[in-house]
Amino acid sequence: MLETVKLTKSFKDKKVVDEINLYLHAGESVGLLGPNGAGKSTTISMIASLIRPTSGDVKLDGKSTIQNPSDLRKVLGVVPQEIALYEELSAYENLKFFGKAYRVERERLEVRIQEVLDMVGLKDRQKELIKTFSGGMKRRINIAAALLHNPRILILDEPTVGIDPQSRNHILETVRELNETHGTTVLYTSHYMEEVEQLCNRVYIMDHGKIIATGSKEELMSILSSEDTIGVQLSKRSEAFTDKIKTLPDVLQVEQTKEGLRILAKKNHNLLSNLVHAAEKEGIQIMNYQVEIPSLEDVFLHLTGKTLRD
Amino acid sequence: MGAFIYKDLLVFWRNRKEILMALLLPILIIVILNFAFSGLFMDEKAIHIDVAVVQEDDLKKGKEQFAAAVEAKDLSSQEKNAVLAEAARIDPVQLIHDFLNSADMKEWVTVKDLSEREAAEQVKNGELDAIIKIPEGFTDDSLSRLLLGEPSQGSVSILAEEESREVSTLQEVVHNFVNTLNMQFALGSKGFQASSEPVLPQGGKEVVEGDDGADAYTISQYFTIAICTLFALFMAQTVALKTITEKREQVFNRILLTNRHPLFFLFGKTVSAFILACMQFMMTLAAVQLLLNVFPDKTITFWVGLVLVLMAFALTVGGLSALFTALTLHLSDSNAASGISTLIIMGFGALGGSFFPLEGLPEPIQKVGEWTPNGLTQTALIEWVQYSHLNDLMFPILFLAAVFIISFAISVSIFPKRGRS
Repeated sequence: MLETVKLTKSFKDKKVVDEINLYLHAGESVGLLGPNGAGKSTTISMIASLIRPTSGDVKLDGKSTIQNPSDLRKVLGVVPQEIALYEELSAYENLKFFGKAYRVERERLEVRIQEVLDMVGLKDRQKELIKTFSGGMKRRINIAAALLHNPRILILDEPTVGIDPQSRNHILETVRELNETHGTTVLYTSHYMEEVEQLCNRVYIMDHGKIIATGSKEELMSILSSEDTIGVQLSKRSEAFTDKIKTLPDVLQVEQTKEGLRILAKKNHNLLSNLVHAAEKEGIQIMNYQVEIPSLEDVFLHLTGKTLRD
Repeated sequence: MGAFIYKDLLVFWRNRKEILMALLLPILIIVILNFAFSGLFMDEKAIHIDVAVVQEDDLKKGKEQFAAAVEAKDLSSQEKNAVLAEAARIDPVQLIHDFLNSADMKEWVTVKDLSEREAAEQVKNGELDAIIKIPEGFTDDSLSRLLLGEPSQGSVSILAEEESREVSTLQEVVHNFVNTLNMQFALGSKGFQASSEPVLPQGGKEVVEGDDGADAYTISQYFTIAICTLFALFMAQTVALKTITEKREQVFNRILLTNRHPLFFLFGKTVSAFILACMQFMMTLAAVQLLLNVFPDKTITFWVGLVLVLMAFALTVGGLSALFTALTLHLSDSNAASGISTLIIMGFGALGGSFFPLEGLPEPIQKVGEWTPNGLTQTALIEWVQYSHLNDLMFPILFLAAVFIISFAISVSIFPKRGRS
């Protein structure tokens, strides 16, 4: 349905996005993950026809959209990271303006405004000015404004940044409903791995302007099939003990946590007895030992050497 | 496009601070300037003063003294006869009496003739404000000064129990009269009449200019026109600089994504600025006319002409707003766009005479100033106040329309075409 072909953007000879290939099938929900500065927003802006790529193409149903993005814009809804609304206008007035800009017919627009307000759970607050809304409510209206023309494809750029849990849940539910019930194709970027895990069938992981991994959640997890992540809870913290663990056979990475240690080790390791032995020597008690099911966060850490929020 | 215009007007309307700045501040400034520079509190109708004229001079004796003085002069008998004949026609004391009892003076001065003792007593009791004392020998002294060019020995004096605004005004008026009288004789204008116009302080209607048969325009009219045009220029910037927020908050991009041609955004700004400038003019003029009666006794034709020129200027404001909007979107640094627009407005304001009259500046600067939109509008409107020649409005209106077309054409040429950068 929508794909990018070797999409590249350079600013002053610096490649911000480097030959990205990604595609979205109709009805799919796809996640785009990456730390700050990975190039996610630039990629989204190019897909949405707001920035002209240095090279490469964006295709809708096999047809290039670079020269004439008109067809793409008709079927595309974009929720930017910023609150792209007029603070001095009410929720209703904002939606009415953007609805008219989308050329939604007058009578249809009135109905559609109520539908999208209902979808984001702010129907009863529609007459209030945006500037009086909480951050979460603003983000919900930000989404509503992108849905007025009933888009087939919805791109959301970190739509849950800095908001309360209630609004966050509401937004996640809205996106899920749009995808599952209305069949809207979703491209979702976020810092929050659990949101992507919860919402998306497929994930692209970006770093330094490049796609470094792609696949379904299970496929990405399999990257870690040769490794185990072990959480160890200790009676006290000790640098000497941590250093000792790092030298044990089969241990790949050791990270100190609040409770103790998080160890990345080779699959089929024989770590427990060595760990107990080392703890006894240091006079430390092992309170808990758990082999964790790997998450996308672990995959990300494995691939980039940093966490998503770095 | 209606949605874009409505949105811009609504956004402006919801910002109370901007409304105060754009719609009420010009009215306030015009009123304050009017009070500060026109001496509104010195309105002649508000002043009334009771004075006594104490005459110690004797006309007959004075003329005899003057005749003796002429005889003693080293002049031919023909010259002596001419001077004496002229002196026979002049009665300096009567001139002062006629002046004090003229129609203009009667509006604010009540005069009665009293002896010095009576007058002093009434001033002390508060029944009178001042005494105009015509000293002994005034006739001789005045004639010697006027006709022989002798130095003055004594003059009319004004005495009062205490210094007051009324007394100061009277002093100023009487001294102006005496000086005018002296000057006219010195220039050889022998046809001096007591009915000559007294130079009066005209509170609230200070005359700025008025010659070659033109009606005078007042300082209040100047301020009204200057402040109106200046604040309309600010309006162009106010509307355009909203684009900075719209750009920063991605609202502009969201508009682009609706598939509307980006020029709708520019048209919206242009028309909104035009409408807001018109509203600003109408509100300011209505309020100032109501409060200060800045344009008294003007005909419908005058008002139509005024509105036509201001609407043409509002069109230019729309064009400038389009230019500033396009600059904001064209330049990656919004502060630079804001700086350029401020520079243009302040330049127009200063050169066009919106901050101060250009009369005192060098000729070339005045000429340049007259070609700025606000400068031309001011000149056109002041001439309209003075002459009311309908033909004189054609050029300024066409010029302002041309400025709009040029500004708008530049805006369109630098405006982002399809939202791709």
